[in-house]
Amino acid sequence: MMYVVELILTGLAVGAIYGLVAMAFAVIYKATGIVNFAQGELGMLTAYASWSLAVTLGTGAILTVLIAVVAGAIFGLLAERLVMRPMLGEPLLSVVLVTVGLAVVLRSIVMLVWGPSPKTLELPGADTIVSVFEVGIRTSQLSVIALLLVSLISFWAFLRFSRFGMAMRAVAADERTARLMGISTARVQAVAWALSSALAGLAGVFFAVVYGLSPTIFELGLKAFPATVLGGFDSILGSGGSGLAIGVIENLVGGYLPSTLKEIAGFLVILVVLMVRPFGLFGEKRIERV
Amino acid sequence: MRSGYFKQTFEELIVLTDSPTVKAWTALLVLALLVAPLVVGSYMLSHMTVILYTLVGVLGLTILTGFTGLISLGHVAFMMIGAYAYAIAITRFGWTPLPAMLLAGIVPAVFGLVVGLPSLRLQGLYLAITTLAFSYIINAIVLSGGKFTGASRGISLVRPVIFGLDLNVDRNFYWFCLAIATIVLLATLNLRRSYIGRALVAIRDNDIAARTMGINLWRYKLLAFVLSAFITGIAGSLMGMYINYVTVEGFPFLISIEALAIIIVGGIGSVLGAVLGTVFIVSLPDVISAVLGVFGAQTNDLLTRMAFEVKSALYGLAIIAFLRFDPRGLRGIWHDLRHAWVHWPQRF
Repeated sequence: MMYVVELILTGLAVGAIYGLVAMAFAVIYKATGIVNFAQGELGMLTAYASWSLAVTLGTGAILTVLIAVVAGAIFGLLAERLVMRPMLGEPLLSVVLVTVGLAVVLRSIVMLVWGPSPKTLELPGADTIVSVFEVGIRTSQLSVIALLLVSLISFWAFLRFSRFGMAMRAVAADERTARLMGISTARVQAVAWALSSALAGLAGVFFAVVYGLSPTIFELGLKAFPATVLGGFDSILGSGGSGLAIGVIENLVGGYLPSTLKEIAGFLVILVVLMVRPFGLFGEKRIERV
Repeated sequence: MRSGYFKQTFEELIVLTDSPTVKAWTALLVLALLVAPLVVGSYMLSHMTVILYTLVGVLGLTILTGFTGLISLGHVAFMMIGAYAYAIAITRFGWTPLPAMLLAGIVPAVFGLVVGLPSLRLQGLYLAITTLAFSYIINAIVLSGGKFTGASRGISLVRPVIFGLDLNVDRNFYWFCLAIATIVLLATLNLRRSYIGRALVAIRDNDIAARTMGINLWRYKLLAFVLSAFITGIAGSLMGMYINYVTVEGFPFLISIEALAIIIVGGIGSVLGAVLGTVFIVSLPDVISAVLGVFGAQTNDLLTRMAFEVKSALYGLAIIAFLRFDPRGLRGIWHDLRHAWVHWPQRF
């Protein structure tokens, strides 16, 4: 019994990280209609940058997380302004492939600057063990779960009540009409990129704290795909929640079945889900006309 | 009275080329490629061999992504399955090389059918992610295959003797690759101008509209997957033969990206573009290292130490730059050049 609870709890912790990245995917998809294949890499870049700052400045836990949010937003804005903005109005395929190119470039930049050797990001108080349901869990793991819930609620409120959130929803629903109503799609795109990179940056830093920082951290983006697909690309809250589900499933599979299955458990889940509901569990079905 | 040059029959319209000049230049190029191994050095020869088998794989992706517009991010999986099918047929079943190469096409084709099935329900990006998932699942399957697939150790291969041609000689292997690349190139060109090719392009441009014109989406999307996987699998077996070794590490995710970069740089949906793109991308690292070599040993040292990273950064930059500045790709530049050459000194 203890074993199951432990698997579920650590699954929730890793799932919360997936959930943050999945939300990042969904924010960009909802605002601009593209899948950003460079999401994991933006998180990776932010994690490495925050690591450098945290090591040189010796910042505490909360400050490091804040740095990650700001750095992530800045990287997102830069990527949007330099690479994505000129592609506005180009065919979908080209725009998506540009993000694939961006991903490859960012990955190489990180490798060239920080090198391939793994690093540890140690923050004071992050490794303290807390007992939940008689199972020990690190505070960093608990806080990432809490953080995901906070982000979910604040994003829901942001999209539901704020003026800008409404503009984002309008652009997602119908870009042309939104522009006719005086909404600047370019600005919506910029904010979406900043927000989503901040989320990915958060995920990156927490992953670095809990599991260590190595160049394979970009795989976070790949690992979060199942969560995003499960929740539906156009459902920010669904994606965040599905992250938890994927994390728990992965951990349970890893705990009871051969370890190779753990790596692909998420992908197997989405293959099944896509067969049944091709637009994700919480996604909207689109009606196409010619 | 004829007031211009018109194509009057359907055959004239779809013929590959009606220009004697183009035919003459093509013949010259083929001749040059045939005698090349007798003239060039061994490094250049291996470089050309890499270009040839890469071209085969890229033509496979061209059918799927270029013609049919289905994005595949997991194409390396088909390549790997092809290489493993060949290696397993040779080493475990003791087959002769030619049937084994056929198997290297057929097994990926069957997998293509499996991946193709969800493509009928999934739109664009969801499909790209499914293919990505597919390539990771295949990796995991091969790694857990035990003795049959050699798990993480892989399978070592010896280059075979085909038609009395000992492929251990690099020159012979080059000719063998040249023959296969030519066959695949002609097959792809002819596919493009047949009913099937036009159906695939119609699906790319608008699948619902294509369906109302009487194109069976099921059949043609699956056909695109099967053909593409078949050709890519053959390329995989060639690559396995070339490096004498088949492992999971030998087929990294970067190859999928490289293939996409090639068809984008060349010009999406064009066979000529695939050829130009392959030559460009495969030569890019060498050209860059030659250029950087001028700046001294330090940069060159970086290049050899971090070759993989520099290479992938170059692919990424090439993808972004071409999509940003000239989405028509190298094919578009080639057309402009040709146009300028023919019409000089006029500008149109």
